[in-house]
Amino acid sequence: MANSEAKTARAEWGTRFGFLMAMVGAMVGAGNIWRFPFVMGDNGGGAFIVAFLVLLFVLAVPGLMAEVALGRYTNKGIVGAFRDVTGRGGMVGFGVVVLMVNIALMSYYSPVIGWTLYYAVHSLLFTFTAPGFEAGAFMDDMFENGLLVVGLHTVVMAAIAGVLALGIREGVERIVVYAVPALVISLVVMTVRGLTLPGASEGLAFTFGIQWEYLTYSDTWIAALGQALFSTGLGWGIAMTIGSYLREYDDVPLGGGVFTAIGESSVGILAALAIFPIVFAVGAEPNAGPGLAFVSLVQVFPEIPLGGLVGILFFVGFFLATFTSGLLITEVGVTTVAEETRFDRTQTVLGVCGGIWLLGIPSAYDVAILDYLDFVFANWGLPLATLMIIGIIGWVMGPKRLRLLAVNQNAGIYVGRWWDPVIKYVIPAVMIFIMGYFAYDNFGTAEMYGGMAVLVGFPIIGYVLMSLVSRRDARSEATKVPGGDD
Amino acid sequence: MALTGPVLGMLAFTLLTFWGIASWALVRTLRQEGRKVELLEHQDRIDTYSPQALAELREWVEDNPDDPLADQARRQYNECVDVLEETDRHFYDWSREEIESLDRL
Repeated sequence: MANSEAKTARAEWGTRFGFLMAMVGAMVGAGNIWRFPFVMGDNGGGAFIVAFLVLLFVLAVPGLMAEVALGRYTNKGIVGAFRDVTGRGGMVGFGVVVLMVNIALMSYYSPVIGWTLYYAVHSLLFTFTAPGFEAGAFMDDMFENGLLVVGLHTVVMAAIAGVLALGIREGVERIVVYAVPALVISLVVMTVRGLTLPGASEGLAFTFGIQWEYLTYSDTWIAALGQALFSTGLGWGIAMTIGSYLREYDDVPLGGGVFTAIGESSVGILAALAIFPIVFAVGAEPNAGPGLAFVSLVQVFPEIPLGGLVGILFFVGFFLATFTSGLLITEVGVTTVAEETRFDRTQTVLGVCGGIWLLGIPSAYDVAILDYLDFVFANWGLPLATLMIIGIIGWVMGPKRLRLLAVNQNAGIYVGRWWDPVIKYVIPAVMIFIMGYFAYDNFGTAEMYGGMAVLVGFPIIGYVLMSLVSRRDARSEATKVPGGDD
Repeated sequence: MALTGPVLGMLAFTLLTFWGIASWALVRTLRQEGRKVELLEHQDRIDTYSPQALAELREWVEDNPDDPLADQARRQYNECVDVLEETDRHFYDWSREEIESLDRL
């Protein structure tokens, strides 16, 4: 019974700053560092910024407000929040879909955190500035050494388990209040170093040059849409989980919506300012993905004064960015499982982290599996999770009721009626469009079949599972009814 | 490519828009938090809705009296009215006239 007593007192963020850093720390990840700068420069620079900004305010800001508000309103994890809105039954299983997507996402994200850890350690050993160092060969060696990445994945999941076991306030909050500012400071120092290099203006011109015609290209808007939705982590259950630990008088829309969406995007802008002036100054390739961080930038460090120290700043900052995201992605599962079972937090952390570790071994061992899963979940799994969360808010609870009861209560800014149709129609329509667009664009490929399996299989599994749980609960409740004298 | 006026202009616009809004939101929400803490130390309870938000809540309850969430909405409305009437310092910009015009649902 000690467990049930402990569960009656729900944790809360200790400070407002802790909550804000948790939101930004969760959303700023690898994509901000190795994807955003290149996508921006490759899609019309300033034109992309305009498209991105519009989509942030139209979709990401209202969507995050809704997700955080539902978490605060129910004070529960994903499954509990879905149950509060839909009532008992199979529909709660759509919350299980969000949980499954999160666990799958973390299973292949943990090896990515492992890569950044490996590079952070080597930056501290000044490996990248040692004579005869070959950046391409070093990266290939890491990817080909499956056992090494499995080991890194193990270290990462153990570290995450260690932090999460300490709890929300003593574990997660203590890390993020230092890690997020440290990431920003490291990028600022890199920016100053980069901008003072000869030839840095080429990088600025690539990133911030304006090609207005790009606003007429559908590819620019698709890229901006992907960045606005996936970079902000909208609808993955993270914002809802973080919001569920808010205190009674905390605001939702200003901190959970505006600050989170714009703040985490600002880190992407800063990353562009930090990385591309340096990359262009030495004539390296302005890549996207691991090639930018692990090859182009690594080639740059020996070429610039104080390159070894800049390398440490970059890779330690990069590791912190991915690690804090990993912490909060895993917290989604921990919060929900702890609430839905009789296990205490420590047991739940061990179970969830152990499960993710086990599921992540194939992705850690073979980067092709990781790439496949990343493609499938980025294009279909995550939009499906978003559709589930925004769907129950928009179509079951009703956006107006949530806005009146939770969004505008104790709010730092007033959210008006314009918000309701965005939640009910616009975001779900965009999610359906994204899934359809990528299915059309990848028609007949193994990735598309994987995506379709997720789209069909996950909701069926979730629905059947929660129907069975609901039936079992109803039976056990029926047996608890005291009998009469006869 | 050289640094042209439009490039510098876009750089300034981007920094001002993103970092400007993020910094404004951060400072504003932290200040509001400080104000809430100060009020809670002074009077234990604070008003939970702005005048505009409370008026909209009232309108919704009156339009939807049989909604399953109407009781909860009514409770939240009344709680805010009670706090406004019983306390002398408020978080939102409530005028004395506005408070006097309020009545419980």
